[in-house]
Amino acid sequence: MVDVRSKIHEIYTLEQLSSGRSVIHDLHPSVKILATFFYIVLVLSFDRHTFFALTPFIFYPVLLMSLSDTPYAMILKRVALALPFSLFAGLSNVFFDQATMFTISGLNFSYGFVSLIVLLFRTFLCVAAVLILVAVTPFTQITAQMRRMHIPDLLVTLFEMTYRYLGSLAEETSVMIIAYKLRHNSDKGIELKDMGSFVGQLLLKSIDRAEHVYNAMKCRGYGRYDRKRRKRSLKFNDYLFLLLAIGFPLFFRFIDLNLLFQPWIMKVTLC
Amino acid sequence: MHMADALLSPAVGTTMYIVSTAAIARSTSKIKLDVIERKIPLMAVTGSFIFAAQMINFTIPGTGSSGHIGGGMMLAAMLGGYPAMLTLSAVLLIQALFFADGGLFALGANLFNIAVIPCLIVYPLIYKPILKKGIDAKRLTIASILSAIVALQLGAFGVVIQTLFSGVTALPFAAFSLMMQPIHLAIGIVEGVVTALVLNFVYKTRPEILDDAIETKGTKPKFHLRKLLIGFGIASLLIAGGLSYFASVNPDGLEWSIQNVAGVSELFSNASIHAFFAKIQELTSFLPGYAPSNDPNGTGLAGIIGSLITFALAGGVGVLIYVVKKKKIKSTSA
Repeated sequence: MVDVRSKIHEIYTLEQLSSGRSVIHDLHPSVKILATFFYIVLVLSFDRHTFFALTPFIFYPVLLMSLSDTPYAMILKRVALALPFSLFAGLSNVFFDQATMFTISGLNFSYGFVSLIVLLFRTFLCVAAVLILVAVTPFTQITAQMRRMHIPDLLVTLFEMTYRYLGSLAEETSVMIIAYKLRHNSDKGIELKDMGSFVGQLLLKSIDRAEHVYNAMKCRGYGRYDRKRRKRSLKFNDYLFLLLAIGFPLFFRFIDLNLLFQPWIMKVTLC
Repeated sequence: MHMADALLSPAVGTTMYIVSTAAIARSTSKIKLDVIERKIPLMAVTGSFIFAAQMINFTIPGTGSSGHIGGGMMLAAMLGGYPAMLTLSAVLLIQALFFADGGLFALGANLFNIAVIPCLIVYPLIYKPILKKGIDAKRLTIASILSAIVALQLGAFGVVIQTLFSGVTALPFAAFSLMMQPIHLAIGIVEGVVTALVLNFVYKTRPEILDDAIETKGTKPKFHLRKLLIGFGIASLLIAGGLSYFASVNPDGLEWSIQNVAGVSELFSNASIHAFFAKIQELTSFLPGYAPSNDPNGTGLAGIIGSLITFALAGGVGVLIYVVKKKKIKSTSA
């Protein structure tokens, strides 16, 4: 069974990273969000068999991680968790799409195999882009930007409060799971017949505490937002980043560098 | 059931985003803000609770596998359809951003499959009518199990349709459905049972939560859905008509390969479903393709070498930045 407490605390690790200082951290959140979305859309716009033209897109996450001092290992570990679903989805391609795409030294690479690799690589790029966005943008900036984008205030409030309640709820869940395991002398999951009362008790314990916490927050001024006062203007670095973050992916999307350099590569390899 | 970004095409992802955004907008407009003010802590904590509960795996009897609850029907039963929609939206957004559980671009599709279907479709059409005559243990159990099964089945079917429309998988429709539907039937049954158990427990201890949720009437919406749909339809026509102008007439790699192997640029399938998806693909492919290589024998090796060079360059740049930054820090601290 998953260790609930450690899983929840993973998100607070990302929040700690987001309070760092670097040229990427200092960028306007809207620019980072827009760049991330644009990047993901361009990655997804490639044909499912196109791998070689997609490879230059690796520069975006690598450069951002380097410039923002985001630990590679942490991002790669989280990306790895997202790969299995894409792997299972793509495995079927290997069986159903067996026509040969190209041959190297007698070894046939099928369209299905290439599409599986493309799927995994796209998952890697997209997940890395999102995790880096969260690692370089503090949570408060994300929610402030959501309000500036006129996303309904109720939704943003729920987003904030759900995020904050997760920690205390994880603690409660973890304690209850340990208590259950000790009473049942078993390391397996919760038995189905006990799920109802387990989950019900957890819920009711949390509801009362949540009301007290919310009322205390409201007494301290939570909920009074002034969009104009919190507005942040864009600086030169923001425009420069946007230009590069949009320009280069667009360039790589329409210009296949592998095709451009193919004659030279083939000359070197065949020599 | 959370879909990754890589399983969707831009057209499908954007469409699902528009649909889910419309659902969120409608939910927000239907909620009475003065009534919901006191419900916000309940919404937030039940959202967190669903989040935590999703991490608790239970064994599915007879299958040897395990699953976890989705929570859509449970939330809708405790909060009402529209508040549950917003709560689940917040949960899915947190999962997409912080846990890479479901992609950010796929959020629209995930919202539709996991939130819109149970909260805005199944809840008013199945759950509420069953409890129309009043809440008791028997009706609550039947409503929970039936609603959870239908919601999971529809959500799983949504994943199949969205993935097929995106053209990412080569899996035939029938095979894909046969893989997804039965396992989600098992999960749906278990989720239904768990939902029934939890709701019965909550109704015994805090009946006002369920009574309040089922009696909540929405406000008159500030905008008309018909206008929104008309606007959406016009936008779709503009996008499809305008951007398709820029579609390339050059053959893509696949067409080029087929041209050389089969002598025709396209393979025509007799299956009507393939023709249907091909038409969708044709209408929604708005970015031009690539000029294919003229030497099929060299393409693969050159491509791999080129890709390795690209990765090495990217890695080299990353290391260089790291070294330069370390030197800077050392020189400023010295």
